[in-house]
Amino acid sequence: MSRSTRGRRTALTAVGAMTAAAAVLMTAGCSADSGDADGDVTIEFAQWWEPELPEGALRSIMDDFEAANPGITVELISGPYASTKEQLFAGAASGTMPDVVGLDGAWVSDFAKQGAIADLTSLMNEQGMDDSKLASQIQIDGATYMIPVVNFVYPLFVNTDLLSEAGIDQVPSTRTEFETAAKAITDLGSGASGWVLPLSLEAPNGIQNDVMSWNWASGGSMLTDSGQPDVTNADVASTVEYVKSLWDDGVIAAGSFTMKEQDKVEEFTNGRVGMMIDSLSHINLIQENNPDLNFDIAAIPAEDGYDGSRGIPYASWGIGVADGSDHQAEALKLVEYLMSADVNSELSTIANAFPGNVDSTPEFGDGKELFEKAFEIYQSGYPANEFTGLPVSEELMRQFDTELQKYLSGDESVDEMLSTVQDSWTAEF
Amino acid sequence: MTIQTSRRPGVSRGTRTNLARLALLLGLVAGATFAFAPVLWMLSSSFKPNTQIFEFPPRLVTEAFSFDAYARILTDPEKVRFFLNSYIVAGAVTLLTLLVAILAAYAFSRFEFPFKRPLNVVIVSVQAVPPITLLIPYFGLMVTLGLYNTYPGLILTYMVFTLPYAIIMMTGYFNTLPRELDEAVRVDGAGSWTALWRVLVPISVPGIVSVGVYTFMIAWNEYLFALTLTKTTDMRTVPIGIQLLMGQHSYEWNEMMAMSILGSIPVLVLFLFFQRFFIGGLASGAVKS
Amino acid sequence: MSATLPRTPRRIGAARRLEPYAYVAPTAALMIVLMLVPIAMVIGYSFLDNVILNKDPEVVGLDNYIEVITDPVFGTAIANTLVFVTASVAAHLLIGLAFAMMLNSRLLGPRVLAAFRGIFILPWLFTAAIVAVLWRMLLSPNGVVNYLLGALGFGDGTTEWLSDPGLALGSVTFINIWSGYPFFMISLLAGLQGIPADLYEAAKVDGAGPIQRFWNVTIPQLKPIIISMALLDFIWTSQQFALIWMTTGGGPIVATEMLSTYTYKLAFAKYEFALASTSAVLILLLSMVLAVLYVRHQRARD
Repeated sequence: MSRSTRGRRTALTAVGAMTAAAAVLMTAGCSADSGDADGDVTIEFAQWWEPELPEGALRSIMDDFEAANPGITVELISGPYASTKEQLFAGAASGTMPDVVGLDGAWVSDFAKQGAIADLTSLMNEQGMDDSKLASQIQIDGATYMIPVVNFVYPLFVNTDLLSEAGIDQVPSTRTEFETAAKAITDLGSGASGWVLPLSLEAPNGIQNDVMSWNWASGGSMLTDSGQPDVTNADVASTVEYVKSLWDDGVIAAGSFTMKEQDKVEEFTNGRVGMMIDSLSHINLIQENNPDLNFDIAAIPAEDGYDGSRGIPYASWGIGVADGSDHQAEALKLVEYLMSADVNSELSTIANAFPGNVDSTPEFGDGKELFEKAFEIYQSGYPANEFTGLPVSEELMRQFDTELQKYLSGDESVDEMLSTVQDSWTAEF
Repeated sequence: MTIQTSRRPGVSRGTRTNLARLALLLGLVAGATFAFAPVLWMLSSSFKPNTQIFEFPPRLVTEAFSFDAYARILTDPEKVRFFLNSYIVAGAVTLLTLLVAILAAYAFSRFEFPFKRPLNVVIVSVQAVPPITLLIPYFGLMVTLGLYNTYPGLILTYMVFTLPYAIIMMTGYFNTLPRELDEAVRVDGAGSWTALWRVLVPISVPGIVSVGVYTFMIAWNEYLFALTLTKTTDMRTVPIGIQLLMGQHSYEWNEMMAMSILGSIPVLVLFLFFQRFFIGGLASGAVKS
Repeated sequence: MSATLPRTPRRIGAARRLEPYAYVAPTAALMIVLMLVPIAMVIGYSFLDNVILNKDPEVVGLDNYIEVITDPVFGTAIANTLVFVTASVAAHLLIGLAFAMMLNSRLLGPRVLAAFRGIFILPWLFTAAIVAVLWRMLLSPNGVVNYLLGALGFGDGTTEWLSDPGLALGSVTFINIWSGYPFFMISLLAGLQGIPADLYEAAKVDGAGPIQRFWNVTIPQLKPIIISMALLDFIWTSQQFALIWMTTGGGPIVATEMLSTYTYKLAFAKYEFALASTSAVLILLLSMVLAVLYVRHQRARD
């Protein structure tokens, strides 16, 4: 009996100790905050750029910034691109969003609505930042929430070997020429397809880059003048009908419905597709991975007979400041620094992108001619991405994507498709 | 000739055993193909440059075979740190989960008490909430508790996810053991604490090891909460390191593969070491300790 | 097993009554703080209007529930999840049991079996993201699977395993089966060790062959473990997210839309956190039914 009581007491004590330990563990976490006694400020900069850039490149830019701004320390918080949005959303919801955040144009509207990111127009006014050199600003209801730091444009890439093998001596410039070329490449029978169309629903940005780009290239729009959805217009209809005709021709590489941008570029690099619409930033990657591949870039083909200026889709690494940040002044200093002519040149050089400062001139290394050519295409046309700044724009692309997949599979007609999209988009606006 | 005839009865028994052995071996090889073939492709890809991973027709080994991807990972202190973090977190989670689960399972298996049933329902069903929806409340909670970006934060989080399974399985194992075993000790005057650690736990080693392996795997492979509850590079774990190689525009295919191979080797070694507990058998020796 | 010992007399003091609570205290403390609190918050969200995005959400009663339940995609997601989960759990159980039985055999040397044990556990060692990337490579139209099938004369080598709406659900299920069976195998292997050898001896003496011994000894002895694992696997598989999201994203069209991907999209693509919470609560309720059945079963068995 006495022994049994002792055993029980041991049990109770041990368990009690463990519960206490768990409690201690729970409260023992550190919560060091920025802003030390000597007035120094640490700002956090969350982005997905660091892993995309050469090792240590972004850190060294931050070191330069710290040297130029004594008293400010920048802590880089880097995450994978695919999860950045969730992380920011969760951080904003619990009031711990980092001071400076990397943004994609597709997220701006939602974060602005959530009250997570600051109105930069008034912040720039307060701090006296000159915005005249900014190439663009993403505005919601007249106020800037995101500044594109660098831009990645999406021209047409063509495999010139496949093209000439197929007997086409000119890079297609119209939809008809493109379709002819795509058919000729597919008909070579070498297993190569004419075109590649990534429609993965996980990352539905193929709708923006690979589908709607056809519309913008012919001067079309998917919105009304007041910015409301207008996908039932004739331009959008002709675009999806064109994609459908390519689909029915069998010139699109297999696996479209789950293909992602990263797969698309591997197909092209391996010479298995003749043409793709893709980010300019891939030039180096393609050259590195397959030095023997001969390819060229061109503007995205327009509707036959269209001679207006062509929209060229782009994606940005944008930047914003957290609305809840205690160090907005310092945060804006970092933004200003990244947007300054020299730093912006450097950043766009290492990112293989076009600068967000009008005075910046990137120095492209290998593949220089192609970048210069792309810059010409870019300047003779206009940057077009109507999804930037729209509410839940990724979801809009996904809804469009789902219906497009139904249309391509033959489950519905083009009118059904577009009116369904129009309804679901209208509900989101 | 004669010798063979005289041996016939023996031979036929031997043949039957041999046939069974052959059938077993065939089954094992078929199973191994199913399990290993995809991993073989992962291995093969980790030795190739990125382009050859996607070449058609595919080749298992190419002339460009190299250990570059492995070298790049092992020489990057940041990535080595990911491995270290994963070991610390997964190791701590495994030990703590086992400890806490054994106690709770003992209560569920050997005691009758009010709220036992509802508690059981709660433990089973809380796992059904999609973790993704818990993310935002959880994040806020961790920040409030001061556990954001700390080891304890991750460890306690994983314990919450691994405990239900560990408790259910340990309760199951304890239930299969005759009550007479521990009650005999208690009749001798020892308390329940002694009965648990001296009698039940030693017999349950195979169960404990299998729960431990499971716990380790969950903690080792978890991505979403690891990413959300940490922010600095020195706190990140291997699954985040792998995802960091999946860029916005392109993937580092061979490094991803190499990193997950590197990540799996220690776990495999650990498993091979502990697996002797699966073949020990119940009666042999375990009770003696 | 032999002589039944007299039941412990009823010495029910206060300490004795508290004892079980002491044992479950650490678990309870953790679960309440880190599980029930967040779950309670999620349940709370499900009655609010567009929480998180909205600074001052209003209570909207059951509106969110009506919206989710009447969404046809939610129905599709339930149907797909059922197919995916049922097939996965059944296959996990069958493969896990078959492998465990083979590994438990005494016909081959321990070293040979140890090697196979190491191989069989392999699929379990990789994080879901890598499993998804690997199988996307294997199953791509230009991938190894198509190449091998083509070389062996099956099909024309252009099957779109993941992108064909008719095949996608099956392919995703297959991947999940591959990546999940070792969990069953390990637990069943451990369970096999717990079966007293004398039960087999007794059955042998009674003249039972290997097949009868399997059905009359092995299966009944493993039954508690099998039931627990099937239940847990059912719950876990129903939340499998990363694997589906990273292979098909719920597509093509809605062919692999599951409750998990549906809920994710509500939360992080549409930012409808209240609706996502509602969907989570509905999933919780569905699983609760399973959990109650499970506990009933446990109770009946005692």
